[in-house]
Amino acid sequence: MDIRRLEPSDIPLIQHANLENLPENYFMKYYLYHALSWPQLSYVAVDVSRPKKSPYDYPKIVGYVLAKMEEEPTDGIQHGHITSLSVMRTHRRLGIAEKLMRQSQLAMVETFGAQYVSLHVRVSNKAAIHLYTKTLGFDQDKTESAYYADGEDAFSMRLDLTSIREQIREAAAAEDADEGEPVGEAGSKTLPVREKDLKKVKVGRGLGVQGLVEKDESKHS
Amino acid sequence: MCISLGVRVLSVCRQSTQYQTRHLLRSEHHLAPPPPPLKYVPTSRLPVSPSPPAPSVCRGSLQCPPVLGPSVQQLSLAAMPQPLSSKENSLFRQVIRNYEEKQYKRGLKAAEQILKKNPKHGDTLAMKGLIINSLGKTDEAFALAKEALTADMKSHICWHVYGILYRHQKNFEEAIKAYKFALKLEPGSPQIQRDLAFLQIQMRDYQGYVQSRTAMLQSKSQLRQNWTALAVAHHLAGDLVQAEKVLTTYEESLKAPPSHADLENSEALLYKNSIIAETGDYQRALDHLQSIAKHNLDRLAVLELRAEYLAKLGKKDEAIKAYRALLDRNSEHPEYYNKLADVMGLGDSDTNARKAIYDEYAQKNPRCDAAKRLPLDFLTGAGRKVADYPTGNDFHDAAKIYLKLMLDKGVPSTFANLKHLYSDPFKKETLQSLAHDYVETAESPAGGGSSDGDLKGKPAGLYYLAQHYNYHLSRDLAKALDFVDKGLVIVPENVEFHMTKARIWKHRGNTRKAAEIMDQARNLDLKDRYINTKAAKYQLRNNETAKALKTMSLFTRNDNANGPLAELIDMQSIWYLTEDGEASVRNGLIGLALKRFHAVYNIFDVWQEDQFDFHSFSLRKGQIRAYVDMIRWEDKLREHPFYTRAALGAIAAYLGIYDSKLAMDEVNGSANGNAEDEAEKKRALKKAKKEAQKAEREAAEQAAKQDPNKPKTSITENVKKDDDPIGLKLASTDQPLVEATKFLLPILQFSPKSIDGQVAGFEVYIRREKYLLALSCLNAAIAIDPTNPVVHEQAVRFRKALTSVAASLPAKVAEVINSEFTAIDASTDLKKYNAGFLEKHKDSAAHVVSTIKIRKLLGEDQKTCEKALFGILDMKSDDWEPAAEALGLFYQWRSSEADAFRKAAEEKWPEVTLFKPPPPPPSTS
Repeated sequence: MDIRRLEPSDIPLIQHANLENLPENYFMKYYLYHALSWPQLSYVAVDVSRPKKSPYDYPKIVGYVLAKMEEEPTDGIQHGHITSLSVMRTHRRLGIAEKLMRQSQLAMVETFGAQYVSLHVRVSNKAAIHLYTKTLGFDQDKTESAYYADGEDAFSMRLDLTSIREQIREAAAAEDADEGEPVGEAGSKTLPVREKDLKKVKVGRGLGVQGLVEKDESKHS
Repeated sequence: MCISLGVRVLSVCRQSTQYQTRHLLRSEHHLAPPPPPLKYVPTSRLPVSPSPPAPSVCRGSLQCPPVLGPSVQQLSLAAMPQPLSSKENSLFRQVIRNYEEKQYKRGLKAAEQILKKNPKHGDTLAMKGLIINSLGKTDEAFALAKEALTADMKSHICWHVYGILYRHQKNFEEAIKAYKFALKLEPGSPQIQRDLAFLQIQMRDYQGYVQSRTAMLQSKSQLRQNWTALAVAHHLAGDLVQAEKVLTTYEESLKAPPSHADLENSEALLYKNSIIAETGDYQRALDHLQSIAKHNLDRLAVLELRAEYLAKLGKKDEAIKAYRALLDRNSEHPEYYNKLADVMGLGDSDTNARKAIYDEYAQKNPRCDAAKRLPLDFLTGAGRKVADYPTGNDFHDAAKIYLKLMLDKGVPSTFANLKHLYSDPFKKETLQSLAHDYVETAESPAGGGSSDGDLKGKPAGLYYLAQHYNYHLSRDLAKALDFVDKGLVIVPENVEFHMTKARIWKHRGNTRKAAEIMDQARNLDLKDRYINTKAAKYQLRNNETAKALKTMSLFTRNDNANGPLAELIDMQSIWYLTEDGEASVRNGLIGLALKRFHAVYNIFDVWQEDQFDFHSFSLRKGQIRAYVDMIRWEDKLREHPFYTRAALGAIAAYLGIYDSKLAMDEVNGSANGNAEDEAEKKRALKKAKKEAQKAEREAAEQAAKQDPNKPKTSITENVKKDDDPIGLKLASTDQPLVEATKFLLPILQFSPKSIDGQVAGFEVYIRREKYLLALSCLNAAIAIDPTNPVVHEQAVRFRKALTSVAASLPAKVAEVINSEFTAIDASTDLKKYNAGFLEKHKDSAAHVVSTIKIRKLLGEDQKTCEKALFGILDMKSDDWEPAAEALGLFYQWRSSEADAFRKAAEEKWPEVTLFKPPPPPPSTS
């Protein structure tokens, strides 16, 4: 197993994995939209043990997380969203989904200053709900009725990313300390400034993305 | 190159241009938002068209009265030989507005109103053409656009529209020409310039793109993305130095450093860093990276690049630290371990030291898989004493620990994660005996498997062994089945055991039973699409296309008015289309098969087209490195095995069409077809039609049943009729070889090392009598695998063909062929040559079949050849596929022995569905 960032060339097999596993499917262009808008956020799990069948084999994708930043957050708070997450039935119980999610969450904070991450899950999907709430610590926000095309309800969930932010702050402070720069007060001073700046990042329409924005962000994990 | 920051041809109308460009240039196809929303979302989420204030001043040639709406200025200004009255002017404005708002009928009406008085008004004619094109009447649109140009050759609008029409048709070369004309007439037009630029990069006209981007920068140099874009243009054109210079020029023009949170800046700096690294000057790349690292927002990229540069520069200690930092972030990335071992200077034989690295991370991250499993790749220990190693450092011990851990935990992918080790016989045997030991000692968990269907302990071990004996390097299908059955005693409802059982039957050649069992597996977990997909795939392998579609429809969205098949095409489900195409070939429904292969071909066209919007989008988003990655991937898009497989299917189908036509012509002495064959063809077509209709109907019914709440109207409304639903037109092509070539060329270009592609290329070119091209495929195939039986056949066929056509070949061609075709010398006795090949490969049934084919080709009596084919049934082999090919030859030769051979094969391989007697003709329904 190899867990790494998504590359554009992975997309056909990510799409393939999605089509094999989940009822919510997307055009290639929608994957490209994610890969080219937030390349830091999506991760794949690759079966590196698979013997090659031809010189042109692409890495076999056995799991992926497709993630984005909310373009125009209604609450005005920068946050990430999980568009789709899936692991092949044959590759379960290795903790792949959790590992993919953790990498993505870290990048959400580092690169885009996300405050929290949200997702939707089918109310009947016990295994996924267990992963999100028990393993990853998501909170159940609300239920959205008939969210899915087949009429099933979704739980809307979110996870506060403060603890990741804290870790990054600590690591940054430690790094500064290593470099012999003032620690403590100075270290903690730098971050609030940074956060303030982060809120100023132009997102969504500010960058003129409406042409490609998925109008329905009610995609599924 | 000269770029001065002072250049500012800023037009106040600028704001408006985006609006206009967005709408005018957006062919619906390209800018259709990504996939259809799953839920209807109210329009409040739709982008609102910005309505910029009417400009007060216009510069350059743009003489626009302020009363005109913003977008109209761009179109209605300038060369207008026949000025319109103010009333018509406002009508013209309305035409444009209507077009932009997709109110085509109104727009058309307004245009006609203008044309009534000014029948030769070029711009109106052009706009009318554009609207008509949007209504789907492309031919009429072109006629109008041409008329418009005749009326007003000097209007940039007319040329622009002409370009847009070509662009819509995907005739990019012509579109570029038209845009260039338009731009010549209206050099200041930003949107024509943009349109041209994006087509140039789409077409990979790098030099043209550099030119366009230079002009765009000059006209609006305060925008960072224009600088970045020019750098990208130089970069893609291969000019790293210029690319870097452009980026630096912009950076130096900044008076204040951008905010740390400026993502565009952060990305641009990393992009520049990647360009420096591409020059190979890693020291400079490292220095630059250090200077931008601290506040860069892409932390992972910074860490990875830093580690890479340090490693390349041989800075051992720092590189070690850098790779350790990466492993702390993500210990599931094998590359980091390998690089760490490299920079530490550990060789392949330093297994103890290497193992220590992995152990360290396994300890740090108890849930890490990579650290525990990867050492199995390099640990050895065959024939050595365990005592030579610290505990756990020889393969046997490490594998034992790993296997126990995984099976206790019930990780279903354990076998999949280890099977690559089987190429080493020692490891294969070790794993086999370890798994047996495990099964003998393991307890079965109380109550069989755990409640959620996981396989832990003994059943996990049995599952491992079932897969082990099903794998081609350790195959013993009887044993495999035995372990499945043992497992099913403990966990009778388990999906995984059923899946493996189905695969075992597939390997036995019993596609019918395999499909049945996979469907049982599906029924054990109806909510899981994965198992549903597998069930459908196995049905397709068993040629049950209608049933498979029905299975698929259990998970496709059922609001697609054209039914589940259309939904699968829309969702670009390549695997399904390919498998369905291949099943259709086996069912003799060539038209249907071609239909599917063409659908895959079209998906690749769409994928290529999909990049178009990102030429502008990515610049706005600022994620340049990802964009460049995408461009480079798109450059070789069709190297994907998805393309090759479907294309090979199509080529084979077209070759079949060509050959059967040829055979028919030979029999009939051309012209009036054989009545019997014709009748048979008709019957086959009728059958195909019926089956396709039935499949569609059933699947649609199934889909309708899925959701009782679904309004019925959606099924009937807006159904676009396919005028060739079962591919009859495709199959009746007059030019099967031309069509085959269309599928072939991308394979030869992008996957030249695919032996199947070269073999197919030979077949196409030899029929087209393109001997040089056929030879080039043949030589490429020989270079890949000289012992391949089909390559042998082709080489002999080529030599034989040469002897008969040599005289008619142009001298130059003959000369080149003579010097290039070295596999079989001209003086060779082909029969002897063939016999020699047989002697070398007499134990391989596939090779034997090939040599028999050649014997027949070289004039040997059919009876003798048939007898020889019977001989392969006496060979000791479990592989039934050569016999299947032989059976195919019996049919092809219309041999009276065909059924006898089939029976004999059935006797030897009673499970193989192919050797079963053909089903009785279905009673007419």
